[in-house]
Amino acid sequence: MSNEAPPETAFEARGVSRRFGATLALDTVDFDLRSGEIHALVGENGAGKTTLAKIVAGALRPDSGTLRLFGEPYSPRRRSDGSAAGVAHVRQQLSLVRGLTVAQNIELGRPRALGGTRWRPWPRAFNSRAARAEVERLTGELDLAVPADELVDDLPLAVRQQAEILISLAWGARLLILDEPSSALGPLETDALISLCLRLRDEGTPIIYISHRLPELARLADRLTVLRQGKVVTAGRDVHDADLRRIAELMIGDISLLDVERPAPEPGEVRLDADGLHVAAEHGPGLRGVSLRVRGGEIVGVVGVAGNGQDELAGVLTGQLRPDAGGVCIDGIDVTGSPAAAIGAGVALLPEDRTAGLAADFSVAENLIARRVADRQFARLGLRLTKAVRRHARALAERFDVRPPEPALRAGSLSGGNQQKLMAAREMERNPAVLVAAGPTKGLDPHAGRAIRDRCFEAAGLGGAVLIISADLDEIAELAQRVVVLSGGRVTDRFGVEEMTSARLGAVMAGLAWDPSTGAGHSDTASGAPE
Amino acid sequence: MTTTSGEVPGTGPGGAAGSGNGAETLRADTAFERATIGLSTSLLAVVIALGLGAVILAGSGENPLTAYGAILVGSFGDWFAIGETLARAAPLAVVGVGAAVALRAGVITIGAQGQLIAGSLGALCAGFVLRDVPTGVGVPLAAVAGALFGMVWVLIPALLRAHLNVNEILSTLLFNEFAFLLLAYLLNNPLKEPRAITPKSEPLPDSVVLGDLVASTRLHAGVLAVVLIVALFALWTRSTMGYRYDLFGENPRLAHSLGIPGRRVICNSLLISGALAGLAGWLQAAGLLQRLFVDIAEEIGFFGLVVAMLGGARPLGILAAALLVGALQSGGLHMQATEGIPASLSDVIQALILLGFAVRYAPQIAAIGRRVVRSLSDSFGAVAAWGRTGPDRRAPGAGTGEHREA
Repeated sequence: MSNEAPPETAFEARGVSRRFGATLALDTVDFDLRSGEIHALVGENGAGKTTLAKIVAGALRPDSGTLRLFGEPYSPRRRSDGSAAGVAHVRQQLSLVRGLTVAQNIELGRPRALGGTRWRPWPRAFNSRAARAEVERLTGELDLAVPADELVDDLPLAVRQQAEILISLAWGARLLILDEPSSALGPLETDALISLCLRLRDEGTPIIYISHRLPELARLADRLTVLRQGKVVTAGRDVHDADLRRIAELMIGDISLLDVERPAPEPGEVRLDADGLHVAAEHGPGLRGVSLRVRGGEIVGVVGVAGNGQDELAGVLTGQLRPDAGGVCIDGIDVTGSPAAAIGAGVALLPEDRTAGLAADFSVAENLIARRVADRQFARLGLRLTKAVRRHARALAERFDVRPPEPALRAGSLSGGNQQKLMAAREMERNPAVLVAAGPTKGLDPHAGRAIRDRCFEAAGLGGAVLIISADLDEIAELAQRVVVLSGGRVTDRFGVEEMTSARLGAVMAGLAWDPSTGAGHSDTASGAPE
Repeated sequence: MTTTSGEVPGTGPGGAAGSGNGAETLRADTAFERATIGLSTSLLAVVIALGLGAVILAGSGENPLTAYGAILVGSFGDWFAIGETLARAAPLAVVGVGAAVALRAGVITIGAQGQLIAGSLGALCAGFVLRDVPTGVGVPLAAVAGALFGMVWVLIPALLRAHLNVNEILSTLLFNEFAFLLLAYLLNNPLKEPRAITPKSEPLPDSVVLGDLVASTRLHAGVLAVVLIVALFALWTRSTMGYRYDLFGENPRLAHSLGIPGRRVICNSLLISGALAGLAGWLQAAGLLQRLFVDIAEEIGFFGLVVAMLGGARPLGILAAALLVGALQSGGLHMQATEGIPASLSDVIQALILLGFAVRYAPQIAAIGRRVVRSLSDSFGAVAAWGRTGPDRRAPGAGTGEHREA
């Protein structure tokens, strides 16, 4: 913690904790933001960055700890309290209202204290000249090109983001929180964002900047705080003195390869063969020429910061997404673009977004037969045999330790871990030829996480090809034998898990190039950076 | 307060949807407790609705007790009343089954009005062609004609929805207007009975008319077809194909990942609902009225949707809901006739009582409602996107909700 009394602290948090169910998202965190600085908040997914940002913005209340804003005690009860106090939180999902212009968006949400609309029984003229003048004044001051009168829908993402920042300034923001602002921007747009942030800082608006892209932070931030698993690992370090590689390592923590019992790899035939995959995506990079081969018995981890082509990869490999170029073969059978063929060839999928993998309003039993409703075992003359389905469900739920193993229970009423086990039971009931698991243990308690991990080992042990797609490096370190780094829709690095070090992974994940000869990451030669 | 459904869970999505909240474990309630809670909520809601209705009736200077008595008498008081209730319930149940098939697949059609009109025209056409065949041939063929005409009437909206993601609510609503205007034209011009004052068709020939089931009532033999249709629907909910359609309605992304063809599901469920609405039109034309009038569809199409939702899109629920609505309608008419209560007030009372039952079935309705909302937001989103970028040609279910990285 920075002990010297900082000159003019804009925001200060002392001993802030926040718990969500079983997980402690923030654990007695101290954080301070000086006026006139850009303070970067870095950490892996789930480290607690966004939780802290929400607390600063007033969207979440801490369980314990105290906050001070511009020297005053600060205890917002909701987001609007935060914005009334001058805190603006620009989220990844921008909050502009579509179908309205930028000027209308300013008018729409203006806090009452600043002359905003009170509720009236009649509609108010929206195209206020004042709002338009305000946009013009701010675009002039900040040297931006945000059109006041164009529909938000028609603006490119980067301009929308600028508009959102501009609007929060018009609403009287004195402190900005930018949450992963560059994740969907290209290099040029990122440059523009950085110079905007620097200008805002120089004009006296302190910024909390959340990101895990270190090269970007080096150009932008004054100080940097690293969070890991809800704890502050490094507080308020001066960015210009910091060693980026060391920061990357801190972000990730120690990767312990030793304490996992790993089945000896006995690679067999190539079971999953994906060649030259190209996918154009609306957001993010899509896939730009990914080739991947996984042998039976092998567990391959795909690491990378979320949004670098992972969703597309999982979609293509399971036949759900037809690639623009390239193809996927399972045991020599072409399954490109056909989910039915993929299932027939024995592909199992544990999707990262669990809502995509379960029918929440269906019972446990009905979920468990989703892949094989028409099997002779479960249906006669096109009618489902309820008893057989239920008996099967009970046995399967017990085998995969779904609790409670109650076939009639609504699947959506199970806990997250048990939903994941239910999904695993459905997908891996019969040894899959290929298992694609995206963030399979994400958000699970240790017990459920271990159960799912063991299932992945089991699938490989029985000769299946297993692909773990995850941004959680511990998960990859525990499971994978081989690691593939996905960045900007390309495979930028491949290595055996024994070569996986915090430094190497940290560097590639943070978008730094890895130089094996010196073991150093270079920010200046960033290659394959996202977008 | 959770109203846990008394039905055996796990027999269908509706059945499993009883416990709407995120309970961690199976509730310890016994079946008896569940049933009593369910029954008492149901009774309470209906009693409150009746109480509200009584206040309104009393406020309008009517005696609530005699008014409610008239509803009972008019719906179940004698054979004629029972016949009337059943004859009104029959097309409602048939339309309700069709709407339920679509609802379960996540598709909301409100085109039953138009399809019903088309179906009645089909029955009339069959009557022209089959004037001299025996009843055993004419009746089933007329039914088939009604179903086919209903299907044809929904074909364009179905194709538009499946392939261009055009909102089916809008398109089917427009097709209702087309059907109504077409019927009005036909009954005023080519099909008009020559000497009639009001527009109506000539009576259907005996070869296609459904006979009375019980003498001196309006209960016709078509009611038996309703029993058959509901039974088939019960099989549908247990069939593997019905399961796939339900799964698509419940989670289109999961359905896509399991290789269930979304377009076909959307298209076929709309066609099924159209065929059934057409059959309801056949029931009206060949059974109840035995000729075509401009208002042959009454509001059956819309009340059929109410029946489907009130019945939780399940077979027995639909039967019960259709009987309820049928009873309220015939009882309401009786109340107007004997107590001199205005039709509008009678409608208000009917609606209040329906609302009371809707509260009882709230969790089941909520489960269906969730699908409705999801499908609405999908299709409106698609319409908005179409306005900007042209039609969305992705397979239904593919890619919805992608890129929702937190």
